[in-house]
Amino acid sequence: MLELEFTVNGSPRKIESEARLTLLEILRETFMLTGAKEACGVGECGNCMVLIDGVATPSCLVLAGDAGGTAIETIEGLASDGELDPVQRAFVDAGAFQCGFCTPGMVMTAKAFLRDNPDPEPEAVKQALSGVLCRCGTYSRIMRAIDQLTGRGI
Amino acid sequence: MTAIPETVGRSSGRLDGEAKITGRFEYGVDAARPGMLWARLARSTQPHARIVSIDTSAALAVPGVYAVLTGADTEGFVGSRYVRDEPILATGTVRYAGEPIAAVAADTEEAAEEACRAIVVEYESLPVVESVDDALAEDAPIIHPEWESYWVSPIINRPGGNVVSHATLRRGDVDAVFATADRVFEDTYEVPLVHQASLEGRVAIAEVDDDGKVHVWSSHQYPWGLRQDISDILHIPLDDVRVTVTGVGGGFGGKLYAGVEPYCIVLALATGRPVKLRLTREEELTATSPRMGATVHLRTAVASDGTFLAREGRLDYDSGAYAESSPGVVSVGLMTLPGPYRWQALAVDARAIYTNKAGCGSYRGPGAPQAVFAGESQVDRIAREMGIDPLQLRLHNAVRDGDQGPTGQVLEGVSLVETLHAAADKIGWDSAGAGEGRGRGLSCTWWTTTGLPSSADLRLGEDGSLVLVTGATEIGTGAVMAGVAQICAGELGVDPGDLTIESADTETTPYDFGAQGSRTMVAAGNAAIAAASDLKDQMFDLAAAKLGCSPDDLELADGEVRDRDDPDAVLTLADVARLAGTGNGLVGSGTYEQPGTPFDTDSVVGAMIGAFNIPSFATHACEVSVDLATGEVSLDRYVIAQDVGKVVNPRYCEGQLTGGAVQGIGQAMFEEIVYRDGHVQNPNFTDYKLPTMADLPPIEAVMVEVPSASGPYGAKGVGEQGVIGPPPAIANAVRDATGRAIRRLPITAERVWAALRGEES
Repeated sequence: MLELEFTVNGSPRKIESEARLTLLEILRETFMLTGAKEACGVGECGNCMVLIDGVATPSCLVLAGDAGGTAIETIEGLASDGELDPVQRAFVDAGAFQCGFCTPGMVMTAKAFLRDNPDPEPEAVKQALSGVLCRCGTYSRIMRAIDQLTGRGI
Repeated sequence: MTAIPETVGRSSGRLDGEAKITGRFEYGVDAARPGMLWARLARSTQPHARIVSIDTSAALAVPGVYAVLTGADTEGFVGSRYVRDEPILATGTVRYAGEPIAAVAADTEEAAEEACRAIVVEYESLPVVESVDDALAEDAPIIHPEWESYWVSPIINRPGGNVVSHATLRRGDVDAVFATADRVFEDTYEVPLVHQASLEGRVAIAEVDDDGKVHVWSSHQYPWGLRQDISDILHIPLDDVRVTVTGVGGGFGGKLYAGVEPYCIVLALATGRPVKLRLTREEELTATSPRMGATVHLRTAVASDGTFLAREGRLDYDSGAYAESSPGVVSVGLMTLPGPYRWQALAVDARAIYTNKAGCGSYRGPGAPQAVFAGESQVDRIAREMGIDPLQLRLHNAVRDGDQGPTGQVLEGVSLVETLHAAADKIGWDSAGAGEGRGRGLSCTWWTTTGLPSSADLRLGEDGSLVLVTGATEIGTGAVMAGVAQICAGELGVDPGDLTIESADTETTPYDFGAQGSRTMVAAGNAAIAAASDLKDQMFDLAAAKLGCSPDDLELADGEVRDRDDPDAVLTLADVARLAGTGNGLVGSGTYEQPGTPFDTDSVVGAMIGAFNIPSFATHACEVSVDLATGEVSLDRYVIAQDVGKVVNPRYCEGQLTGGAVQGIGQAMFEEIVYRDGHVQNPNFTDYKLPTMADLPPIEAVMVEVPSASGPYGAKGVGEQGVIGPPPAIANAVRDATGRAIRRLPITAERVWAALRGEES
């Protein structure tokens, strides 16, 4: 067993974990933060993206032990005091999801990207979000949500 | 048609939006039950083999294992809804690589997996049928030698051998009309298997209570169909099965039939514990009901002015090892191979054929993309070889109001010409040529709004709360949580946000035929209108008695019942609910069933679908550039113009058009389940490539509104049609860019490169 400490959505957390468990498993099964989803388990779909020290990372590819000491942000931590984060708000207003399964991964990836790139070119947005698969095909509307956030509008 | 309420036509939010955007929404993969065990399936490593022996002793010895079941334990439990040919666990013979052989329940998924690996199976290999051509060869191994003994649902025509079902369409004298033709075009097209690839795979939990009643929680599109399947497969009385739909992380037709649920139930019965089973991506892509591949032979007779005369076609669909939904899906080929055009004569044969692949199922627009890739690619060839503009050729032959469909149904609300003009205008069809290595393409489609019943109850609580209880399933489209909510709220004069919706539970909600066939918003929306009307009648009777006026004087608006002529005569919804004196408010109820569309029943044999209800039409247009050195195709622009009848929510209606188009673009350019020697070569998202944001231009959608007579406010079904048009539109654009026809999907750089060198695609 490993003793691990993280900051999860701003709160310090201390757990014991089997060494084989991934960060995704810890988030979903220990912390009951089930927003991040597993759709492939091998880093191909991006549906399990969370932020580790601000960097969008597929949590299925990270062993929990390797995430010890980091600050982790998940979709559950974005809204504060009942107010949606601007990225969440933009996704809702643009109708940027249907089934919503990929949405936590997509929103977290967009959040990290926009923090680092407040005024991105559309092509850069496409590249940044191309690691998250959306089978409902809401890509045009996701782009619209990002355009709302960056003031490009449509 | 009732007056259109203010809530309709607005891009209001969806009632499940906040839960989804915050990560709180509970999908099937997130659900759990106290004391739950985990299941895994051991699967065949052979595509076609006799099972000589199965040894489960080592599996049973794995710590944490509660049960290991094999075909010997599940004798007589046989699936496939229309031809009962698929034992839930193989008995005697395996017919595809990945077929379940044993089901294990254990404390953890890892222990169940370890037990599956410990099962020892001895096989005796049988010859593998890899394709429909193999299956139809004279000396082909018969995959189901005992096919005549299977239960089969009515209508289906089974000639035997490896042919699961054979549906035919005959209208007019095809030979005579072909004899009058100036030109005859003949081509063969090929479409591979593709997968729904919902990002949430199949997942369910089953629990059996002390009375033997089974409760299943499943990520599913059609709870009543699943309940019937479970009852039929496991011989459990229908009323002893309850299905509750969890949140659904994508369905696209892949969650319409029993899948993982029977395994959960037999393991729950064996262990006395709730059991959960979720499939891995590899299992999904190798062993769960993909869209059938098909080979399409097509001949078309044309007059010298470009008038279409007759079409003759043969669709050989690859059903895989089991029938699953193929007998129904093939009849869609009869409806869609002719395309939305006028014909003097038609002869179409559509067969589903057994091979040693995963049994195939339903995927958005089932049966249509295969037929339409052939039909619309050939329309393009006809245009180019006869020197007629492809747009003009389509306009010349397009069906109009009052024309007959392929099976003789009289077409109403026809909008093909409107969509052709809308798409052509948007893409700039008449503007100058796109230039070297660039091309434009068109395709036309038509599609149905499936009927069958939907019912709703509408509860007005004594606190004025409103709850719509519908059997309809929200699978993500917004049909229920936006569309039906807006319709229902509008009828009651309240905001959609004032409503709560309970849905999709066979015990606590009234019947609905499921999220299939583009029907949900039309059917459940009409049921909600009926329920609202019933509730309003009850409210007005009570309010009129209280206010001393006639019910006809009353109106319902802004959450109040009021007398139009007396501003002081006002009751709140809560006031009215309490007037009922029931202690529990009021309930309005409504049911809607779209009447079947009449057609020439003599024109078809073996067809489970003979007409398209409330038909809708669409035109796709796109622009590509092709790298003439490498064959790489870049999709530069994409337009979909689809008739939606009446837009209820522009945001989510457009989402169905563009989302469908994105999946269709995937089928056109990237997607194929590749089999070699009976084994899937690409069971992952690296090798089975889905479209990403980087692959696509913005999809430009035009929502054409030609109202239907019976949809809510004129609405038509919108969900599926968008997926059908992209393959031929893109193939036609590539042909325009290169002069080369691509007759096999997907349109990969390699295939285009070969075509550019004159090699057959």
